[in-house]
Parts: sequence; structure tokens; C-alpha cells
Amino acid sequence: MNILDIDSLTMRFGGLLALADVSFHVARGEILGLIGPNGAGKSTMFNCISGVLRPTEGDMLFEKDGKLMRINGYKPEKMTHFGVARTFQNVRLFSALTVLDNVRIGRHCRTKANFFGAVLRTRSQKEEEQRIVDESMNWLKFVDLEKFVFNTAGSLSYGFQRKLEIARSLATEPRLLLLDEPAAGMNPKETKSLIDLIHKISDLGVTVILIEHDMKLVMSICRRLVVLDHGIKIAEGGPREIRANPKVIEAYLGRGAADA
Amino acid sequence: MFEQQLINGLTLGMIYALIAVGYTMVYGVIQLINFAHGEIFMLSAFLAVTFITVFGLPIYVVIVLTMGCCALIGVMLDIFAYRPLRQSPRLAALITAIGMSIFLQNLAMIIWGSRPKPFVQDALPAFLRTTALTVGDANISWLQMSIFGTASMLMIALFLIINKTRVGTAMRALSQNRTGAALMGINVNRVISFTFALGSAMGAVAGIMVAIYYNTLYPTMGYVAGVKAFAAAVLGGIGSVPGAMIGGIVLGIAEALGAGYISSLYRDGIAYAVMIAVIIFRPSGILGKSTVEKV
Amino acid sequence: MNPNLKTTLKYLLLAAVFVYPLFSFANEYVLHVMVLIMIYMVLAMGLNIIPGFCGLLDLGYVGFYGIGAYTAGLLTIHFGLSFWVIVPLAALNGAIWGVLLGAPTLRLTGDYFAIVTFGFSELVVLFLTNEIWLTRGPLGLPGIDPVIIDFSWLSTLIHPQWDWYWEFIGPQPYFYLGLFLVALVYVIMGRMEDSRLGRAWFAIREDSIAASSCGVNLLTYKVIGFAISAAIGAVAGAFLARWTMFLSPDMFKFWESFLILCMVVLGGLGNFKGSLVGAAILIALGEVLRIILPALNLPTETRFLAYGMIMVLMMRFKPMGFFPAIATQSRKNPILIKLKKDLGSS
Repeated sequence: MNILDIDSLTMRFGGLLALADVSFHVARGEILGLIGPNGAGKSTMFNCISGVLRPTEGDMLFEKDGKLMRINGYKPEKMTHFGVARTFQNVRLFSALTVLDNVRIGRHCRTKANFFGAVLRTRSQKEEEQRIVDESMNWLKFVDLEKFVFNTAGSLSYGFQRKLEIARSLATEPRLLLLDEPAAGMNPKETKSLIDLIHKISDLGVTVILIEHDMKLVMSICRRLVVLDHGIKIAEGGPREIRANPKVIEAYLGRGAADA
Repeated sequence: MFEQQLINGLTLGMIYALIAVGYTMVYGVIQLINFAHGEIFMLSAFLAVTFITVFGLPIYVVIVLTMGCCALIGVMLDIFAYRPLRQSPRLAALITAIGMSIFLQNLAMIIWGSRPKPFVQDALPAFLRTTALTVGDANISWLQMSIFGTASMLMIALFLIINKTRVGTAMRALSQNRTGAALMGINVNRVISFTFALGSAMGAVAGIMVAIYYNTLYPTMGYVAGVKAFAAAVLGGIGSVPGAMIGGIVLGIAEALGAGYISSLYRDGIAYAVMIAVIIFRPSGILGKSTVEKV
Repeated sequence: MNPNLKTTLKYLLLAAVFVYPLFSFANEYVLHVMVLIMIYMVLAMGLNIIPGFCGLLDLGYVGFYGIGAYTAGLLTIHFGLSFWVIVPLAALNGAIWGVLLGAPTLRLTGDYFAIVTFGFSELVVLFLTNEIWLTRGPLGLPGIDPVIIDFSWLSTLIHPQWDWYWEFIGPQPYFYLGLFLVALVYVIMGRMEDSRLGRAWFAIREDSIAASSCGVNLLTYKVIGFAISAAIGAVAGAFLARWTMFLSPDMFKFWESFLILCMVVLGGLGNFKGSLVGAAILIALGEVLRIILPALNLPTETRFLAYGMIMVLMMRFKPMGFFPAIATQSRKNPILIKLKKDLGSS
């Protein structure tokens, strides 16, 4: 069963064609790599799936209660509610807030307390707050950040910020997680622990789509890859096939490289 | 009656347009509502009167001198108040803008007193108050004619500066993409300063015009005129210079007709109502790009 | 300073303020200023929700203050409603206008929102000035009853000779009523801040795109914030109406919005406790300048020169105020205290 079907997706910005008739599918539970040179349309694809952008043409179908549902045009908060979470290429944390608060905000879409609950401190509100803290702590332990609970998010090192962003997105209880260049700016040790983390996430049953420039990382975790170039899907398949694909080599290294 | 209102509205609209271009240009390059722009307009009226009464300069010299002074004030405003906050959240810059506006307004109050003053009529050529021509029932005075003339000339000049000069090109580049422009070797701060200077000089002319036209000047004049001009800029599409011109004229006419036919008590309210309605129903204005928050 | 000593001093000060009106040397003028400070404390706390919690500039807060005041004044004069009924009605009316104004405009960038709020509050003043049939226009609205606590219906049931009826005369009762109001709003603010609602606002302020990807509906939460802020402003207005017993459109000009914003900025954006300090300082400063400025032959309005400068300097050098609230907000939350203890022990 597929969790996501992308069908002839096209995204136009004025005259610029960011995605042209791209189709692929994501199977439930897999780790799919989405690669391509800069400006290939990878982040645009994420922005479409997560509801930040509304695609110009084509369909996006997301599995919900065993059925595929068209998700074009839903707002980001709605997509989060459906079970799509994401991280951003340039980390977007609530940097003045504590690490714990960042993750607690991730729980927003799975909790209910409103103004009256907050002001009257009803029993259900208090219980919910306790649960939010407990669950947030679990996620922080999951990414090994429990030491920094009360630090501000902005004070963390870059690698930890990336992890915190992942914890925050996991707190929304996603079924599909979109990771946008999670290893960018990480040192080899951090990258290593990131690989373990992605495997751990996958073991939870969360489907992952990964945008990444670090080919070693991508090739080692993803069973299947989709390659974009200038908004067009140029290849799809396993790591070995992709590595041998002349079109991919050309896209990365330029014309002529494939023949050499 | 109708023709007269239309003419009055058009005069007013030309003046609003002159102020509005200042808002819209600054917004275009640094995405900031420069609330203090209205105060520059007010300061220009007071400076002009001071130059006439204290130094006895002729009106034409005074206009040029005031434009220069206001341009300088605009540039200093940017350098001292806004530039340090370029990387701060937008809220900080907005609060600074409103703080500067209040500061300048009260500075004027301390220097020149809070009571309205008349303009120095002796400094003006006498023919300005006489009728130049009559259209239907409407009399158009030479003053109104010279407001049309001056404003139109300035608008054309502005249009040429923006579209035909190097610095104008740099301004347009900046409003598209600041980082990109900086990478192309544009001195961003200098272009922003130039934008402030240009906008402030336009506002200065408008300030003198209003002071002469209504024969009064007072420290809070910038605040009402400023908001109305901002409304004009929004109406035309913020960031668009031709839009600001059109918006100013439309607003001026709407205000004159509204005051004449609906209720003169809500004269100022018309501008605010138009502004709110435009922002709610067509935030991009007549000529602007969409400004709905990109998420 | 020793934190215990600090707390003790804080409570001593609070106790001193609390008992001050009971002493015979309590000065009528000082009490009057204190009540005024309390009104502005409520206003500054309420306004802080918008620029402080949500990160949006609101230049028209006084509009809601005015709506609340006139709602209270008119309901008192025409229907003789009790203060205790009027306060929720005024809050409701403020909130309704907050939603009506906020829902269509909070989609837009913050700049547009700022200018719309400004236009709105100017329209409120124009309405109050020109709709003479309703508000008597510039003449103002005199003869509003003071606050009355009336339990006579209950007391006569218990004992026919008892009459539990108090009319508020002089500043003392208003002082305590004001204190109650400040405390109430303070508690509400604290509870909102440390809740799912408050966190959603902070998320919007910090990064609205990330907030929406956490499932926060940006428009809804901004509108909720705006409505609550408006309601608090309206409550302050209702108190003002029954305290001064006279209203005029002049009391709700743009200057007031600016003054309240300045209090918020001085006390720290997003720090509602700082707003209390900001209100106290600026009102006290205003009273001092009111005496000094005429002595220097300057119009009293020029005190805004200082306020304008304060805002510019604060934004430049201390954008989060003198008491930054970052990350310290929920120190009193029992869940977090326990968590801290658990983490410390493990």
C-alpha cells in the first residue's frame, strides 16, 4: 500500500517551471531518497506535500484511514493533522523558546485545551499538560536531547538544532516525515548519529522522504531514490541503478561526464 | 458644485500622491512602513516658513532648500533609526518608526509651538489666489494650477529617475531581491539612503503645498496627512510608484466628493474606510503585487 | 540579591500598596494616580498579547478601550445595568469587534495589520465624535453612575433592617476594585502564557511557517489573541467609565494607544509582568512631566517626545525590555518544577 502518490505534479512560479509533470509513489514504511542538484525542485516538492505551496496542476494523494485522499490545497496545519510532518532546509526553530517548549508546540495538533481550559485550569487541561510534557520528554530522549530541556533552542549547536527540529516534527505524530537536508552542516560524528536516528524513526513505522546532498548517507539508508533535475524526474530506482544511470551522472557532473 | 469638488479633490489627490510615493518607495526597498514620513512632510512646512521669516529668502529658493533639508533628514532618519535594525524582527523596526514619528512631531511642537500658524502670504506671488480658468461652475485658481503643474513635473521626474537612471535601476533591483542586488555589487545602503532622500524631497514639496493651500501649518499635520497618504499608497498597491500616484488622486477625489455629498464630519474617516476596505478586499491594491503572507 | 529577600521585599511592597489607602495620610491625588496606573496596567497587559506574544504591531488598542468605555457608559445611563453585568458585556463587545476587525486583516502581513488597527481606532473616535444622537459627541457623556455593590435583595431577606448597598465614593473603593482587576488580568495572562494557547502564540511570533507546520492555525490563533486583547481593553474601558463617570471622545485618541504601546515596550515585549512596571513608570513620569513642562513653558503634550525616544532606544538596545521573559515563563508551573527535580536527581 502506498502512503503517498504524486501524480503529474506541476508547480509554476510565474514563468518559472519548478516542477514539471513529476510522478512517483511512496510505499508505507519505506525511506525514500529525493535527490538532485541545487534548484532541481526538491524543496518545492516538500513545500507542495506539506501544504506550504499549492501545486499548479496534478494530484497528490495521501493515505488516510486505508484510502487515498487528494490533498491538494490543504493548509500546512491541516497536513500536519493528517500526519505529514517536516523539517526545513534552514532550521526553523522557535529559537527564543526552550527546547522543551519547541517540542511541546509540536504536540499542538494532537491536543485540545482552549482559552477556557487554560484560564480555568480544568482537570482535563492539567492532565493534558502533564501528558504533553511526558510525551515531549519521550521525544527528547528519543533524539538524545534530554540534557538540554530548559536551554533555549537558539543556544544549541547546529547539529542539536537539527535533531530538535526532528523531535518537534515527530511530536506531531506523523505517518510521513519529510526531512529536508538533515545532515547539512553536520560533522561526520553527528552524521553517523543522524543515520541511526533515521533508522530508529523508520523502525517506529514512520515513512520517511529524505532530501540530502550527502550521497553516502542517502545511498546507505534509502532503498529507493527519486532523482529530480530542473523540475523533471530523470530517474527512479535503487541506489545501484541510480549510481549507474547516465542521466543522473550528467545532471550532477555535467554533459560529457557520462561518456567519459 | 460637483466640478468644484472634483477640482478640489484632484488638487488634494496630487498632494497625497506626492507623499504616497515616499511611503511606497521606502516600502519597496526595505519593506517598512516609514511612519515618520508624515513628520518629514510636516517639518518641511515649518522649515519653509522659518526660511522665509528668518532669512527672508524668496519662495522658489525656499522650496529647493527645504527639499534638500528634508532629504537630509530622511537619510539621517534611516541611518540612525532604521539601519541598525535591518536584521531585527520587523516589529522592532515598525515600533522604531512610530517612535520616531512621535519624537519628531513633539520636537516640532517644542520648537514652533503647538498652535496652528498661517503661511507667510507676503512671500507668495499675489496672482496665486486669483482664478486661472473656469470650467463649468468650477473656478480653478492659479495656486491649484501650480500645484497640478509642480506635482506632475515631479512625478514625471521621479518616473524618469526610477526607470532611466542607474540608481533607479538599483532601486528596482533592491525591491525585487535585496540579497541578489547586493551580490550584483549594488551598494545597498547607499541606494536605500537615496530612496529616503528622494521620497523625503517629494514629501517636502507636498508639505509646502499643503501649508500654502490651506494657509495653515501645525505640528500634527503630518500625522493625518501621513496616514491618508499611506492609505493612498495601499490603494494603489504598496511598492508601486505609479500605483501611489493613482491611489493619491483617487483618494483625494473620493475624500472631496465624500465630504461634499455624504458627510463632511467623516472627511478623515473616508480615507481610513477606503484603506481598510482595500486592505481587506484587495490587499494588492490597484497596481500592486499580492502581499498575503507567504507561508 | 538573595532571591528570598527579593520575594520578601516584593510582598512587603505589595502589602504597603494594599494598606496605603486605609491610612489617614493617604493623599486623594496619589490614590487617583494609583487607580490610573492600575487601568494602564490592565491595558498594557492586554496589549502585550498582540506585539509581545504574537509579534504583531497593534496601533489601535485605544479603539477597544473606547468601545468598552462607551458600552459601559451607555448601558449604565440608558438601562441602569450593574457594573458586574456590564463588565462581561463590554468584554464581549470588545471581543466581537476584535474578531470583526481581525478575521479579515490578520491574514495579511503585520504592517498592514498595524495600519488597519490605526485606521480602526481613528474611525472609533470619529464615530464617538459625530454620532451625537448616541454619544453626545464632543460634549461627552456625563452622569454615569459610579460602581454600586447591591446585595440589598439578599440582606432584606435575611433581616428586614439590613441593607447591603454600597455606592463607590472617593478613590478608596476604586483603588481596591482596580487592584482586583489587575490581579484578575494578571492571573489570566499568566495562565494563558503557560498553556497550549500561549505556546501557539509564541510559535507564531518566533516563526510562523514552523508554527503552521506544527499544526497551529495561524489565522485562528491570531484572531483569538486579538479578541482576548480587545476584551481586556474593553474591560479597562468599562472600569474607566464607572470611575470617572464622564466620557468624551478625546480620551481615546491615538496618543493613548501610543502610550500603552510604550509601556509594553518599556516593560518588555512578551513579558506581561514587565508591562506592570512600564505602566507604573510612564504614568508616574507623565504626572511629573505634567508639572515640570508647564514650568519650562512647554505644552504638556511634549512629554511624548520622551516617550518616542524611549521606544526608539529600547528597540535599538533592549528590544526585549529590561526584564526579558524568554524561556523563564513557566517557572511556577508545577509540572515543570517536578520535571526539573526529576532531571536533577537522575
